[in-house]
Amino acid sequence: MIKARRETIKPESLRPLDRFKAASASSGIPVVSRHGELGEVIESSTIGLVAEARSLHGAPPFGSFVTVASEYNVFGIVAGATTRSTEPNRRPVAFGKTEEELRLEQPQIFELLRTEFEVLLVGYLVDGDPVHFLPPQPARIHSFVFRCDDQIVRDFTSTDDYLRCILAAGHFPADQLIPAAMRTAYRCHGSSTSYLVRAGKELARLLRDDYDRLGAILRRVGGEPC
Amino acid sequence: MIDDERFRAGEYSRKMRTALREWERWSVEWPQLADKIERSRTSWLLPHLSDSVAATFSLPALPPAFSVAATDGSQIFPDRHDISSCYLINIGYVLLHYGLNERPLLNSRPKLFYKADDLYSNWGGRKVVASRETVAHKRTVLEFTELSDLALAAAAEGFDPMAAADGTLILWNLEGKPQNVRSAVLTTVLDSWERLRSKRIPLAGYISQPGSQELINAFRVGLCPLDAADCRRCPWQQSASEIPCQPVEGLHDVALARQFLRVGERTSIFGSSSKILGEYGDHRIHFFYLNVGKEVARVEVPHWVARDNQLLNTVHSVFCDQAQKGDGYPVALAEAHEQAVVRGRDREMFYASLRQHLITHDVGVKVSNKALRKRVARV
Repeated sequence: MIKARRETIKPESLRPLDRFKAASASSGIPVVSRHGELGEVIESSTIGLVAEARSLHGAPPFGSFVTVASEYNVFGIVAGATTRSTEPNRRPVAFGKTEEELRLEQPQIFELLRTEFEVLLVGYLVDGDPVHFLPPQPARIHSFVFRCDDQIVRDFTSTDDYLRCILAAGHFPADQLIPAAMRTAYRCHGSSTSYLVRAGKELARLLRDDYDRLGAILRRVGGEPC
Repeated sequence: MIDDERFRAGEYSRKMRTALREWERWSVEWPQLADKIERSRTSWLLPHLSDSVAATFSLPALPPAFSVAATDGSQIFPDRHDISSCYLINIGYVLLHYGLNERPLLNSRPKLFYKADDLYSNWGGRKVVASRETVAHKRTVLEFTELSDLALAAAAEGFDPMAAADGTLILWNLEGKPQNVRSAVLTTVLDSWERLRSKRIPLAGYISQPGSQELINAFRVGLCPLDAADCRRCPWQQSASEIPCQPVEGLHDVALARQFLRVGERTSIFGSSSKILGEYGDHRIHFFYLNVGKEVARVEVPHWVARDNQLLNTVHSVFCDQAQKGDGYPVALAEAHEQAVVRGRDREMFYASLRQHLITHDVGVKVSNKALRKRVARV
């Protein structure tokens, strides 16, 4: 479905400084055109992936739904983001200046920072239809991550199996991620109360042995709207 | 040891007091010193004076919008013990824009040298295999030509760049090398500087913690009782008493400059008398000392920058600003180094990847017995 288009930059369109920029932008070497992708996969497994955001601080919101244009169009929920130095031996230090001042005085530091986000996989898409199993193969490294449109989210959250996936995922903050994902889905369902009631019931079933936890999660669902 | 340290500290203070006295003495009478220098023959480098040795110049205003281009190089030297005698030069590029809200450029470009023309060169009529020395010359050429190309490309896109080089612009290590080697390096480097000159893009080299002693050497000439110093015929050389020029010998210029330069100030411009500059033509090098706050640095510029007040002021203000932004060292040079640097681990990965590639394509790989023995040490 979502396919990254490849095109070639013609040498005559190069500007004088292009020769000094990233290797893929020079001498007509094929480059991947940008199609509104949010990031690019840099670590991948069957259960999750890490993507580098296209822009600094440009990670999609926590709890939003994303898909990856890959062999299998995997489908997942953004479960965390990190911004850090690209160089393992260079740590950011405090300058005591605002970001605006730093951009004027120390422009290089923003080139040395990267934002990465983690995605918990909850299924994949076949011909646009959601499959609520983990994909047979992980997303490929360097494939692009896209925001899911509301229709796909509605289709995917027409059942509430993804809630079980989140609860079963060990290293993510499930008690925060579930309400965040439910609020995203709620918005995509046109703020439908029936969606919330149905998802709430599913959650009550999954957490029937832990009333306190259920209560805490449901209170968060009713928190700030996304 | 403590006594030795105390003695050295005391001696240093005495030398510094003498140097400061001489500095004051020649602050007005510098034309006489300049004349004596031109007539003297010494075994050490002397500066050409065109202004008072004591003149100081306050920090000019920064241009409202400007860019700094910098390059640095790093290499994997050819290793005859490893699988191939190829070598790699990695050039780091930096272009930082200030007052423009433009994205900076930070990148590096490795270049692999493996063809026969790369591996063998003509060394004064002899065919020699690539060595650390020939690679170092190639790296120097690439650093300067790429710096010029980067600055020119920036200018072509409407920026107002300064070309900042890491270290000296005086390629003194070419001295004593065969004429064809000197000429090949200098022609290419000076051609690239000429292109900068034609676009009036300032070029300057920044030397942190310099060990140069030209200014002190000028005072040694001043202390020499002869009408013109001539070290080869020094009458005091054989005598038991102290040589007249010895009271300031051993001091570094920056130690003296630190005494009279306030933060942001520079000294006047001195002409370098390095022998190699005889082949520089209009690009012969001048230098000044600059107090950037955390240290006094030496800044070198070609003749055409030294005589152009506007370009000189740009170099002065931009290097001072760069050093302050870089916590004592120009940020563009530090970042160019970070982009270029090839660390030990990178070298290992390079050879591992090369080995894999050769094996994949059925090309035999062999390392020397010495290298093999080092990798598999037996008890």
